[in-house]
Parts: sequence; C-alpha cells; structure tokens
Amino acid sequence: MKHQTKLSEEQQQPSRQVGIEQQTQQQSAREFANAEEMLRYDAAHTTVPPGIAQRLQKSTGQPGAPPPRSWWRNLLGR
Amino acid sequence: MEESPADLASSEFSSLYAENSRAIYYLALRFLGDPQKAEDATHDVFLKAFRKLDQFRGEASLRTWLYRIAINHCQNLRQAWHDRHMFSNADDAVWENAAAKTDSPLRVLEIKELGQRIQKTLAGLPDEYRLLLLLVADEELSYEQVGTLVGQSPDAVRGKLHRARKTFAALFEKTA
Repeated sequence: MKHQTKLSEEQQQPSRQVGIEQQTQQQSAREFANAEEMLRYDAAHTTVPPGIAQRLQKSTGQPGAPPPRSWWRNLLGR
Repeated sequence: MEESPADLASSEFSSLYAENSRAIYYLALRFLGDPQKAEDATHDVFLKAFRKLDQFRGEASLRTWLYRIAINHCQNLRQAWHDRHMFSNADDAVWENAAAKTDSPLRVLEIKELGQRIQKTLAGLPDEYRLLLLLVADEELSYEQVGTLVGQSPDAVRGKLHRARKTFAALFEKTA
C-alpha cells in the first residue's frame, strides 16, 4: 500500500511540473468574449499619467479660467 | 483610482477629474494611438470642460458631455494629421471581407502584449468602428447615449457594433 503511495507520488511529480507550467501560462493567457470586453480589461489596466493632473492644476490656476464655485456645487448637487 | 489634481480651483472639479479621467484618457489613447498626444488631449479636454461648464445644460450626463468634447477634440487632431499626411483609409470592402472571417472569442496568450495588439487592431479599423467599440466598452454608457455621441439610433448602434466586433476579431487575429 505504502509502495503504491510512493509510486503514486513519483507519478505525480511530472504532472505537478506540468501544472506549474500551465498555471504560469494561464496567468498570461486570457480569453475575451468580444472586443468590448477586451477593451474594458485594457482600460482598467491603463494608468492615467499623473502629469495631466499637474498640468491641469497650473492651467486652471490661470486668471479667468475657473468658473464660479457654485457652478460645481449646483452641478453635482452639493 | 487615478491621481487627482490635489489643488485645483475647486474640489468638485477634482472629483470630476478623478471619476472621468481614465475613461477620457483611454479613449484618447486608443483613438489617437499615441500616449503623448493622448496626454495632451486629455489635458485639453478637461481644461475645455472647466472653462465651458456654463454651457453644460444637464441634458446629458457629465460623462457623455466630456466624451462629446473629447471626440470632437480627437477627431480634429486626426483630421489635421490626415490633411498633413494625405492619409486615406482602404476600401470598405476590405473591412467587410475581414469581418466575415471570424466570430469566435478572442484569445490572448501573452497579456503583456495586449495593449500593443489592441492598438494595432484599432489602427486598422475605420474611425466609425473604432469609436463605436471604445464607447460601447464603457459600461456607464447606454446604447442610446452611444448613439447620441456617434449620431446614430440605438438600433443602428447595435447593427454596426456587430460588424465592428467581427472586424476587430478578424484584424486582432492577424496581430498575433
């Protein structure tokens, strides 16, 4: 019985190895039902460059640029 | 969540930016196909929104309003580029033929190459299909809202979306 168990463990070694390889492949492989699903995934993994916010901060600080604060309050219901 | 402009003139604008910057940047990135141009375009879109907020009547959602500004801006940029480079799309029959080949799931073996392959595929699509797919991919937009943005009825959006999907799939396969 014990011998059988050992044989079984030895037989499992290659399959474990294959399992690891499959797992590695699965981490980088993926299937998408359609184009939008793929684009959605891509968008979710896209980082917005922080430089945009910094530039906006400077741009909106220019005289005459900011709208009245109440506009934003009204707009967002705050 | 994206980094938001911490010290903008209003905290509300900061919220607006935080909630919509990824969607607008992604549209610009994939529509223009150039990260630097997309960054410039996103900045310009939000600056325009900031300055023209008094023109927002609340008839559409803020997201839809921002998309309208972004689409106009990106289309103007592309038009200017096309005018300079005398670029022309291939005959529509090419897209229709490509569309007829596949309707199966899209498989990706190397996810790290996904962005490049998507960009290559989108670059091969007619502008109309590219824009349609990018907008429909935003789950916050209904078919009706997408239709308004592309000047089509919701039914027309559904019909064209079907063809756009198939064309995308056919071209995507070729990027492998």
